[in-house]
Amino acid sequence: MILDCDLLIGRDIATGARLDGDALAGALTGLGIGGGLVTSLRSLLFDAPSGNDEARSVAAAFGWQAAAGVDLRDPLTALDEVARAASLGVRAVRLAPDRQGVPATAPGLRAVARTAASAGLVLLVEGDVRVIGPALAGLGVTAVFVDAHFYHLGDFVLLARDEPGFHASTRLLGDVDGWEVVVASVGAERLVFGSRPGWFEAAAVVDRLAAAGLGASERALVVGGNLRRLLGVAA
Amino acid sequence: MIVDVHGHWGPWFFSTSVADAAVNLRVMDECGIDVQLVSAVEAVVYDPLPGNPALVPVLEAAGPRLRGLLVVDPRDLSLAESQLSSLLPTGLFVGAKIHTHYAGSPGGSAAMADALALLASYDLPVLVHTWGEEIVGLADVVAGVPGVRVVAAHFGGPAWPLVPDAAQRTDRLWFEPCWSTPAPGRIRWVLDRVGPERLMFGSDATLIHPAVTLGAIRAAELSAAEEELVMWRNAADVFRLPAPE
Repeated sequence: MILDCDLLIGRDIATGARLDGDALAGALTGLGIGGGLVTSLRSLLFDAPSGNDEARSVAAAFGWQAAAGVDLRDPLTALDEVARAASLGVRAVRLAPDRQGVPATAPGLRAVARTAASAGLVLLVEGDVRVIGPALAGLGVTAVFVDAHFYHLGDFVLLARDEPGFHASTRLLGDVDGWEVVVASVGAERLVFGSRPGWFEAAAVVDRLAAAGLGASERALVVGGNLRRLLGVAA
Repeated sequence: MIVDVHGHWGPWFFSTSVADAAVNLRVMDECGIDVQLVSAVEAVVYDPLPGNPALVPVLEAAGPRLRGLLVVDPRDLSLAESQLSSLLPTGLFVGAKIHTHYAGSPGGSAAMADALALLASYDLPVLVHTWGEEIVGLADVVAGVPGVRVVAAHFGGPAWPLVPDAAQRTDRLWFEPCWSTPAPGRIRWVLDRVGPERLMFGSDATLIHPAVTLGAIRAAELSAAEEELVMWRNAADVFRLPAPE
């Protein structure tokens, strides 16, 4: 079964759409996705502590992993929430500066990233990799860029060559050879399956996976091995 | 049978190695695509003057699985007329392509109306890039140009909820769904509102892997009758392609 690094529950204020844990689990049915890393939009858009409690509850109910969302509009609380997440055994933090209208140059972004890295947490990072990637460079972070688009693939590869902790999600690498370029350029260890089911047409990513020119060992890394390694969980 | 009405040939300016037509054919084989209508990337993003004729030897070498779309820039209809006269007799081109962004000619513009009128005079169907609300403007222009047949590429991208509105304005506008960031459930939502007679498959290969749009169509769970219309019959009718043997 595939593990997906980009699961979201809650309400998207841009579209008004809602998706709870049960509905998300239903969306995974038929896609061959067995679970993954879930974040609550509530934590990113309204209240991080209660949203993160929601995500941990849903993750526990379905056997998934939770990622803590933080609100960079309040970086002081965000730092506290990173510490709380680490103390609760959460292994990842999601950053969503664009959703929050926070520029990549905001000091809070780097402070949160540095604190997460110190606690051994993985970052899930939304936004244009050409903008947010350089903002996170040099901090020793481990990050998965969940909005890495094939339009910007060359820039991701350049960043990843300098940053051993940088990874790309598959969701927007839908060109003819994007997955293969990542694998050939920086290794299959840097590509993590993500499809944002329920919010994105995840079947398109699943079918792109089926068409990918990956060997069996490379595929195993992309669909779960890499995410398990990043989270430190057993198969 | 699958006909892909939205393909490209040639190098892109992104970090991708897909310039050779062999890539088109390989990916078509992998995805079960029988025929792909292609425009030259150079003609779309830079200059149709060298771009359109550069496609001729590629089509000649590839055979009937690749058919040409002649790129028209509405700002330069004298060049378009010249190339229509010189290139259509090759029999390699089955339609035209207009990119509203690269050609600086929005779907609802007067320049678009003039270009579509020219193409209608050649009885040539047109694939028009649509992004945003211009899909509705394009529908109004199509309604005002007698006889023209137009396929709106991308469903207007993020403006896909406007497809039913556009469809109501003329029955000579069809819709093609390829998009690198597809919203969930979009194809079924549109299909249920405009009917399967108005949709046709396009991939945007070699920019986008066809598996992306094929996956989105798979998620729409087409009936057998819908699949026949969407995956090839509507395209064969509009572009007057030979029916499968």
